[in-house]
Amino acid sequence: MTESTQIGLFTYDVKNGLGLIAYNVDDHEHAHIIVDTKKCDDCSHMMCVWGCPAQCYNYRDQGLEEMKFQVEDCVECGTCYIMCDQGAVSWNHPRGGFGITYAQG
Amino acid sequence: MEEETDFDVIVIGAGFAGAATAFQLLKEGIEGERILVVERGEPIGGKNMTGGILWGRELDAFTDYIGNWEMDCPGIERCINHKKVGFLSNEDAVFIEGRFASWDGTGGTEEPSERSSWSVLRAKTDAWLAEKMEEAGIFVMGGIKIDQLNIEGLDHGAYDARDLTDPSEDSGKGAAQKWKVDNLPKELVDKVRNGTISGIVQDGEVMTAKVVVIAEGTNSVLTRAYHFDSMLHAQSKDDMLLGIKEVIHLGKERIDERFNCFPGDDERPPSGMAMELALSLYREMAEEAWEKYPATKGLYPRCGGFFYTNEDTVSCGIIVQLKSLPEGLHTYDLYEAFKAHPAIAALIQGGEAIEYGGHLCPEYGLHRMPHRFTRDGALVVGDAAGLVFANGMQIQGMNNALHSGKLAGKAIAHCIAKGDVSAKALDATYTKSLKASYIFRDLERFEPATKFLNHPANFTWLPELIGKTANRVFREIGEEKVPAEKVFFGVRKELRKRNKANKKGMGLFSLARLGLLGRKL
Repeated sequence: MTESTQIGLFTYDVKNGLGLIAYNVDDHEHAHIIVDTKKCDDCSHMMCVWGCPAQCYNYRDQGLEEMKFQVEDCVECGTCYIMCDQGAVSWNHPRGGFGITYAQG
Repeated sequence: MEEETDFDVIVIGAGFAGAATAFQLLKEGIEGERILVVERGEPIGGKNMTGGILWGRELDAFTDYIGNWEMDCPGIERCINHKKVGFLSNEDAVFIEGRFASWDGTGGTEEPSERSSWSVLRAKTDAWLAEKMEEAGIFVMGGIKIDQLNIEGLDHGAYDARDLTDPSEDSGKGAAQKWKVDNLPKELVDKVRNGTISGIVQDGEVMTAKVVVIAEGTNSVLTRAYHFDSMLHAQSKDDMLLGIKEVIHLGKERIDERFNCFPGDDERPPSGMAMELALSLYREMAEEAWEKYPATKGLYPRCGGFFYTNEDTVSCGIIVQLKSLPEGLHTYDLYEAFKAHPAIAALIQGGEAIEYGGHLCPEYGLHRMPHRFTRDGALVVGDAAGLVFANGMQIQGMNNALHSGKLAGKAIAHCIAKGDVSAKALDATYTKSLKASYIFRDLERFEPATKFLNHPANFTWLPELIGKTANRVFREIGEEKVPAEKVFFGVRKELRKRNKANKKGMGLFSLARLGLLGRKL
C-alpha cells in the first residue's frame, strides 16, 4: 500500500488486495464477462475503469491506447455492467463452481 | 396442471432470503424432500459478501432447525452493543457514540432488552445455514448456476435468457443503444415475459416445481430476464451503491481490548462495535481528477464509511453512490483514503488484511422497485426484489431478506394447499403481506430521508464544519475563550470564503432547510 507524495491523494494497491481472494478461473470460452472493446474506442468517460473495484479494466488511465480487459480478477460485483452505457459489457454470473470464492464474506 | 412436479418449490439462491423461504416452507408443513435449494456458490456462501450488520431477530423463527444460532453459527460474529456515528473530514474526526445495556440483553430500562444486532461474515453464515437446511431434510445443491426458468409450453432451447437483457451486438451508442431483445420474435418475448413458470433449466435439463422462488441477490439476472424488473434498471447507476470492504485480522484479544468488548462466555456471545461515517475526504482527489477529466467537474464522490468488529477480524469499508463517481477516481483509491485517515488507521493498526471484496447494494426505495414481485408460478424475494432500506444511519437488507423469505414461505404453502399458484393468488398473499410489513412501511416513511442523505452537504462541507467547530470548541490553547456559537459561525465563514460553490449551500436558509430535511431521519 503506497501513499503518494501529495497530501490527500491516495492509491490502493488493489492487486495486492485481490491476491487475498481465492478464484477458480474458468476457461476463456466461458468467460462470464465479455467486453466488446471496439466500442470502448469512442467512449468518452471510461466509467467502467473508474467504477471497477478490482482493476479489471485498464485504459487511458494507465496510458494505454486501447481498452484492456481481463476477467481473472473479477469479484463479480456487477459495477461495470451498470456503468457502461455503450453496450460494450455483456455480463453474467460465472458457471457454477467458477469465479470468486470468499472465505469470510 | 395436476401432473406431479419434481419438487413443490425450487429456491434459487441460498442466501438469507432463500434460506428463510425454505425454512418457512418446512414450518408450514411442506416436506423437506419437496424443497430444492440451488446455489451458484461452491462452497455455499462463497459468493456472498456484506458490510455487514444483521439487525433484528428474524432468525429466531427457525430455532427448530438452527438451534441456538447466536452461539453456534460461525458467521454470527459479535453482538453489537456499541454504536458510533461519525463525521470524517481530511483533518478532523467527530463521533457520537452510544453504549446500550439493553442491546446486550443484560438489563436496562429500555424494552425490549435483547440482543438485536450482530456483525456477520456471510461466507461462513451461509455455509452453516446450508448445513442446517440439509439436516432438516431440504435438498441443497451448491455450485449450480441457473440460466433459465422453465416456461410452460415453451421449448427452453428456443431462446437464451441473456438475450432478453443484453445489449445488441450491433448496438448503437449511449441513448441510442439497441438491445438483443428487440431482434427476437415478439411472440417469444411475450411468452418468456408472461408465460407460466414451472421450474428451472440446468444444463438443458428441466426440473419442475409448482413454485420457483428467485432469491438470487443483487445482480438479479433472472429477475430482469423474466421481467419482474425492467431490464433498463440493470444499466442505471441511479440508486446503486458499490460496497468495498476489507476484512482485517487483528486477533480476538486485541479487538476485545481495543474496542472495549465483552469477550463472551458460555451464555453470552462477545460484544462488538458498529460504526458508520459521513466522509468528506475526497476534495483534493476530486479536484485533481476534475483537472484531468473536466467532463465531470464539480461531481463529488458521495461515500459513507463503515467499520464493524467481528470475532477476531474487523470489517472496514466504504459504500459509494455510483452516480456520484467522477471520472478520474478509482473506487479502490477512495477506499484507501478512508483507510488511511488517522481515525481509521489507528483502529486497524497492527492488523493484516485477509480479504478484499466488492458488492453492489440496491437502494431503489419505492420509486424504482421491480414492477412485479410475482408471476404465475414464481416470486422474487430479498435483494433481487430490491428490498433494501437505507436511511444513512442504517442500511438494512439482510433482515428484510429474511422477512420477505418468511412471508414468501407462508404465502407459497398457502397457495399450494389451495391448488392455485397463479400470480393473482401469490399477489393476494405474498405481495399483500409484503406491502403490509415493516419493510414497506419503513420504505414509505423514510422516503424523505433520502433527500437529506443525498444532499451534497453531507459529503462536502458538513463534516468539515462539524469537525472544525468541534476542534476549536474542545481545544484549550491558553488564549481567550470563544463561545461555541461564535466558533461555528467563524468556521462557516472560512469555509464559505474558501469555496464559492459552498457559499450558497451554507446560507442560513439552506442550513435551516437541511435541518428540516434531517429531522425526517
